[in-house]
Amino acid sequence: MRRSIVSPLLVIAMLTLLTTGCAKKSVSTDSNGIKVFTAFFAVPGSEINDDNEIQAIIAKKTGAKVKEVWLTGQTAQEAIGTFVAGGEYPDLIDGGDGQQQLYASGALVALDDYIDKYPNIKNFFNKQQWDALKQDDGHIYWIPQFSNIKGEEKTCTHNDEAFWIQTRVLKWAGYPEIKTMDAYFNLIESYNAANPTLADGTKNIPYTILCDDWRYFCLENAPQFLDGYPNDGAAMVNPVTLEVMDYNTTPTAVKYFNKLNEEYKKGIVDPESFTQSYDEYIAKVSTGRVLGMIDQWWDFAYTAGDAIKQAGLDDQGCEYVPLPITISEDVKNQWHCSGGVLNVASGIGVTTSCKDVEGALQFINDLLGQEIHDLRFWGVKDVDYFVDDKGEYRRTTEMRDRSSDTTYKASHTCTYSYFPQYSGTSDDGINANKPEGQGSEFFDGLSDNLKECFAAYGAETYVDMLGTSEAPGVWYPIWSFAGTLTTGTPGGLANEKITEVKHEYLPRVVMASNFETAWADYMKVYEACNPELYISELQAEVLKRVEAASKIK
Amino acid sequence: MHLATESRWNIPWKEIKRQRVLLIWTAIIVIYGIVFYYLPLAGWAMAFEDYKPKDGIFHSAFIGLKKFEMLFSDKTFIRVIRNTLAMGVLNLVASFVMAIIFAILLNEMIAQGYKKIVQTISYLPHFLSWIIVTGILHDALSGSGIVNELLVKFNLIASPINFFAHTNYFWPIVAFANVWKETGWNAIIYLAAITAIDPNLYEAAMIDGAGRWLKIKHVTIPGIRPTIIILLLINVGNILNAGFEIQYLLGNGLIQSVSQTIDIYVLKWGISQGDYALGTAAGIFKSLVSIILIVIVNQIAKHNDQERLF
Amino acid sequence: MKKTIMADSLFRTFNTLFMISFVIITLYPIINTLAISLNDGTDALRGGIYLWPRKFSMKNYYTVLHKNNLITGAFITVARTVTGTVLSVITNAILAFIVSRKRFLFRKQLSLFWVVTMYVNGGLIPTFLLYKGLGLTNSFGVYIIPGMISAFNMLVIRTYMNGIPDSLEESAQLDGAGYTTIFLRIIAPLCKPVFATVALFVAVGQWNSWFDAMLFNRMSAHLTTLQYELMKLLSSVTNQSTSAEVMKNSPGSVTPTSVRAAATMITMLPIICIYPFLQKYFVTGLTLGGVKE
Repeated sequence: MRRSIVSPLLVIAMLTLLTTGCAKKSVSTDSNGIKVFTAFFAVPGSEINDDNEIQAIIAKKTGAKVKEVWLTGQTAQEAIGTFVAGGEYPDLIDGGDGQQQLYASGALVALDDYIDKYPNIKNFFNKQQWDALKQDDGHIYWIPQFSNIKGEEKTCTHNDEAFWIQTRVLKWAGYPEIKTMDAYFNLIESYNAANPTLADGTKNIPYTILCDDWRYFCLENAPQFLDGYPNDGAAMVNPVTLEVMDYNTTPTAVKYFNKLNEEYKKGIVDPESFTQSYDEYIAKVSTGRVLGMIDQWWDFAYTAGDAIKQAGLDDQGCEYVPLPITISEDVKNQWHCSGGVLNVASGIGVTTSCKDVEGALQFINDLLGQEIHDLRFWGVKDVDYFVDDKGEYRRTTEMRDRSSDTTYKASHTCTYSYFPQYSGTSDDGINANKPEGQGSEFFDGLSDNLKECFAAYGAETYVDMLGTSEAPGVWYPIWSFAGTLTTGTPGGLANEKITEVKHEYLPRVVMASNFETAWADYMKVYEACNPELYISELQAEVLKRVEAASKIK
Repeated sequence: MHLATESRWNIPWKEIKRQRVLLIWTAIIVIYGIVFYYLPLAGWAMAFEDYKPKDGIFHSAFIGLKKFEMLFSDKTFIRVIRNTLAMGVLNLVASFVMAIIFAILLNEMIAQGYKKIVQTISYLPHFLSWIIVTGILHDALSGSGIVNELLVKFNLIASPINFFAHTNYFWPIVAFANVWKETGWNAIIYLAAITAIDPNLYEAAMIDGAGRWLKIKHVTIPGIRPTIIILLLINVGNILNAGFEIQYLLGNGLIQSVSQTIDIYVLKWGISQGDYALGTAAGIFKSLVSIILIVIVNQIAKHNDQERLF
Repeated sequence: MKKTIMADSLFRTFNTLFMISFVIITLYPIINTLAISLNDGTDALRGGIYLWPRKFSMKNYYTVLHKNNLITGAFITVARTVTGTVLSVITNAILAFIVSRKRFLFRKQLSLFWVVTMYVNGGLIPTFLLYKGLGLTNSFGVYIIPGMISAFNMLVIRTYMNGIPDSLEESAQLDGAGYTTIFLRIIAPLCKPVFATVALFVAVGQWNSWFDAMLFNRMSAHLTTLQYELMKLLSSVTNQSTSAEVMKNSPGSVTPTSVRAAATMITMLPIICIYPFLQKYFVTGLTLGGVKE
């Protein structure tokens, strides 16, 4: 009888033992007396190994290191929501889409009083930019990491959206000037008629459209560029009148989708465009069969682009170059904008759980010093790069290959990739702050076909193919505001509905046997979403940003 | 001595004393259940308030049934309920029937070695993530995929079908994917149940001259019936949990009117917008439907004198 | 009689054919995953790999096996799988034993109490707050305690126990045995196949789970699990982000599905190895006949 009571009690005792974990302290130091901060970034990212070599070097020089944790299997809103509910935070945090939640919950430390004490942080933005970062209570809580260009801007690749075309198509036609959408499709059509296959007999896919989930920008946002506007993303903004315009309903939009519809009927547009997954799209592009598409560089170049090179298809001219296409000859393109894009919506902040705010900011400050910055992005001298007689940083093929090796990166490289950083030119005035901006790095990697193509157009880089325009105004880009809208506002709600409608109806419009009726159907549901509510919220933000900027001048 | 005959007003002290051990354990288990399963339900309050993370569950503003009204006045929500139900029923029927058939047929295999190999292989797809399975499925069903190739070769169709562009293929594809991935895994439970069948019954049936089919019909199926019934009851309650990963991975804009489930809707309009109230409201709705469903099917089972949940 | 034999052989042919085709379609995804895992990552992007790697490479396995914290994760995973499975089988068996006693006073109420738990869920935030309040966050206990008793497993065991004739219990009671003795000496030994089944379910669940590690032990690296480490690797190397901005800020971070394939193979392997030991309980029929009537 006693045993029967004892055994349940034993179980309870065991369970209690199991639950006792160790208490977590916020700021700690490791055995070498190095401060260890914790950081959470509400975006997916790569972890730094515990035994990472460059992290150890930086820790030695700065007396601090950061343990980074990234978003896994959750949305940013969800992850931040749990942090806020629990009321316990890592020392440093970037909330991504959940940044507003952090601010509203009072989780972040106001940085205004600290900034002046840290010269590298202070100089990271100018007065106007710091002001743009002030929240409604007048304080600054986070530092956007990415937009900053030091010295002369160094960009070779057009890391953005464009109509891309394979060099073999241009070569075959004798490198013609292609400036309009019609000319682009005509070229693809005639090339495909003359050369329907690759050397090994695989049939070409003349034009494909990626339409998978959020990547459907490859289908939907071309009208803004065709009308000669830059990537404001959410709408077009008239730089003179500041009027916000909807690019979904313009005559150019009608022409563009009508063109796609015609090309679809001709068999030029890949019939699987609207059902393919991202992986399938990448597989297609990787085989070199796709003559042209709209996409952003980063979305295909590091995957399909590498696969094309690896398979030796660059010899057949299967690599892509961007074309300066608009709706008509007299519209100037703005596919490529110079200057960084300051996204005020999120950035790195220090939380109220951090017991050493000064230490954390000192670390951020140190990371921006040129020496540490070089360690972060170039690596260790004579291991990851060497310096030639002109003082220029170069890499051997072996170094370059290693720099893209996942395993090597995890154990050796430590970019602290979501901490503030510069692109542009180094303090030495010679080198780029990041290898991808280094001219020599770029040219060493170019295939003969690309060199020939660039030469034919009098270009040296991808950017030269398009030309560069200045950012149109202080509001730019308005997507940094549109991205923060939630269904909590009428405009945000309208935008969600619009997105859903476009996902369903745009493919139908392109595949329709009768374009006019399909377009009319689409417009009917589109108008029912009340797009004007969305546009008017964007309008208010544009005016607000312009006004805020004018106060400083 | 039987409980049923005892008066309600008589506290059966003798019986309590006899069942002392059972009651002590019950108390522990119930406390555990309350803490881990029922206490978090306080979170349901979120469905009735304008939940703000900074105010927490207990201090956010009360908004009553607003979120429920929002849900049920949204045509999209009604549509996702339809999709979820349709896929839930299809999956339930297909996976259920296939798992039982597979378990029975496997049991009929004579060579023990092969039987083990077949079973091991059959449950392996359970360990593949949906992203891998849907990737393979996408590949097989694409314009140049094996399915279209075979269909064209045998002249069943003139030109390849774009399976993911038509709303009428989606539900069967999802059901097939579920069967493909989970049949072997789901069968394990029936195989375990079959082991409990008295071998003497098979012998007796054989003496009566019963063939394979009769033995299955009169011995195997009745032997695993309680398991079948219980799993059926459990799964009927889960019919609104048709999932979201597979639909999310296989769906696309063209067919979103049939591919979106309640869970996708909640993710899209609730969680990813930081709107916890909406997600909680949808969760409460699902729970209520589930409980109503299991009470009904449980009554039916009781009526027919079958194994039941409670 | 002849007819029966003919029908039997027809049945056997049909059955063999069915099993062969079933094996082929279930084996294919596994072989395909294996082939992709052994293929060079960049090359695998081009698709078209079916049964055999096109450009052989062990690099995907190398990448996965060199993941930071993998050893810690594996250790914790083994610990939680073993502890969790043992505790779970014991507690569910006790609960099932109680609710399968026909004379038990609260038989129906206790069953209903648990059945309801399968269909209600307070949501992420309340659960998080509760576990935090109980001191379960940043602890090993969060892997074991919350899911220990589950209605589903209880019902599976209960159904099996219901099939055991009452006469066994009654005769033991006449011999003066209490419930503890009946459970340990009579019922539990007969339930081996169903315990094996539930053990498999729980073990696989424990082995594969990562969400609890991510949610409750996010900042405690020493409590990470194998699957969480692999999830982290996959979400960093694949395109799981949902915004163009994030993708743009992490140049070149997208690598192929081949790493995912390697990670899948690595986590599948131990399960495949353990399975034969459990399998004997539910493929070969146990002779219960002797004790049954």
